[in-house]
Amino acid sequence: MSYRAKRAIVSTSLLALGAAFETVSKRSAELKAEIADLEDGYVFSIGVLPDGPAISLKKEGNRIRHLGKGYRAPNVKILFKNMDAAVRVCVGMIGTHTAAAQHRTVVHGNIGEAVTVSRAMSIVQTYLYPRVILTRTRKRRPKLTPAQLLLKAWVMTTLAFGMLADAGK
Amino acid sequence: MIPEYYQFYCPVKILSGFGALSNLPYEMDLLGARRALIVTDQGVAGAGLVDRVMRALEGSQCEIGAIFDQTPPDSSSNVVNNVAKFFVEKGCDCFLAVGGGSSMDTAKCANMVISEGTNDLMNLQGAERVKKRLKPFIAVPTTAGTGSEVTLAAVIYDEEAKVKMAFTSQRLLPDIAVLDPKMTLTMPPGITAATGMDALTHAIEAYYCLQKNPVSDSFAVAAIRLVMDNLTRCVENGKDETARLAMANAALLAGISFSNSMCGVVHSVSHACGSVCRVPHGVANGILLPWGMENNLDKVGETIAELAPLLGAAASGGPAEQAKAAIQAVRDLGARLNEMCGLPNTLREAGVTEDKIETIARTAINDGATIYNPEDVTYDVALDILRKAY
Repeated sequence: MSYRAKRAIVSTSLLALGAAFETVSKRSAELKAEIADLEDGYVFSIGVLPDGPAISLKKEGNRIRHLGKGYRAPNVKILFKNMDAAVRVCVGMIGTHTAAAQHRTVVHGNIGEAVTVSRAMSIVQTYLYPRVILTRTRKRRPKLTPAQLLLKAWVMTTLAFGMLADAGK
Repeated sequence: MIPEYYQFYCPVKILSGFGALSNLPYEMDLLGARRALIVTDQGVAGAGLVDRVMRALEGSQCEIGAIFDQTPPDSSSNVVNNVAKFFVEKGCDCFLAVGGGSSMDTAKCANMVISEGTNDLMNLQGAERVKKRLKPFIAVPTTAGTGSEVTLAAVIYDEEAKVKMAFTSQRLLPDIAVLDPKMTLTMPPGITAATGMDALTHAIEAYYCLQKNPVSDSFAVAAIRLVMDNLTRCVENGKDETARLAMANAALLAGISFSNSMCGVVHSVSHACGSVCRVPHGVANGILLPWGMENNLDKVGETIAELAPLLGAAASGGPAEQAKAAIQAVRDLGARLNEMCGLPNTLREAGVTEDKIETIARTAINDGATIYNPEDVTYDVALDILRKAY
């Protein structure tokens, strides 16, 4: 696969993650509880080194807002060391914890907060990925309640609209 | 099983043995260093161990530029920033950390502050983010447990947030580790036992955590053997230099192992116990280790079973029985050390109060080590471990 193709996969996946973060944070009590300890206005970014795609997200009240592409003065940056590492996580070959354990990521900022962000990201991925990928990427595959399954359906239905809306940010 | 991908890194030169300290001037010279800042604590200085280091430099062109002997048991970013300032003020060109984990980690972080050209350690928070080469660094451990002399991590207490923060970077690895048994002879039995359990925890967690690999496994296995053969000997007779040297090596081997495969839930909860209730790290690790192993039985039971013969457990039955036997062997060692020197076996004995358990659990789940634990570490999991260990 060419570098350009990998970059396209990662850019699209990050856009989907950003849009899903917004949608899930509006409705998921689990995600709201997870981000409760982060300060209001807290910004985190996920990106690829050395100058690959990146997105920034901000905590506003008890929700997450997708600020768009690039680094927007983040409190914490979670960075993939290269495009291959990002692709492996984005397509669900490995989970974020495996990427960290395999030294495929770098953290700039408070590690405790990065752990919270990483857990929040896992919650959002629960609504983005199918069961087969979650079995591979999570330490314990989450069991979804009927309400969570409905939310997952809602996320999948609205994802494309969210991504289109966020593409210009 | 071979991991699909791993990294292993340990460039530290190891000087181990009787009189190892006497090579210090030669090694400093090789590093191009002339004027060292000793970072230590009052206990180590009071025990005459700094004098030993200074005597080793006699007759050489190397000198001690200054001594910082105010390192507290849980060093903070303020202490680190002061040490960095002191280093510059005194015109030093290398760090000589003489002490346990706190002194070594303080010196590591001060080195990072100086080399990265900042004045506050908090600007450097993160994992694997330091790029610049650091000043020469020599570690002379006076305990046998932390393994900080060969690890890429440093743990510093954040006084404001009341949490222990881990800094990780391959740049933090010292240039040289000097294991001289004379430097650990003055450790009292209680500290010998606690630091020894710390080393055992490093080796066991390294053996089953997510980044385990054939290289780190070999170090972990060697470390476990040395701990099982020598820890109680050291507690029984602190002047046994051969056993002391063996334990210093055990801590070093375990350090190399966990520096590469990292630790898991025992360390997350242990760091949190230290942050919230000031339980010494080795004591907390010793108490939590069997519960942490049990927590991971479902995911890595067969791997834990492989440790049974090394831990002196009867090697019979299937993997499930052997894994349980391995855990029981760790409990037995803890109980024996409790009888020998009063090493706490429960969190209650270690001074944790029940009302703090939920706070500890909340702190533990945000510790970086949770990532490397095979089993998911949720608030409920951390709480369960704490309640059992209480």
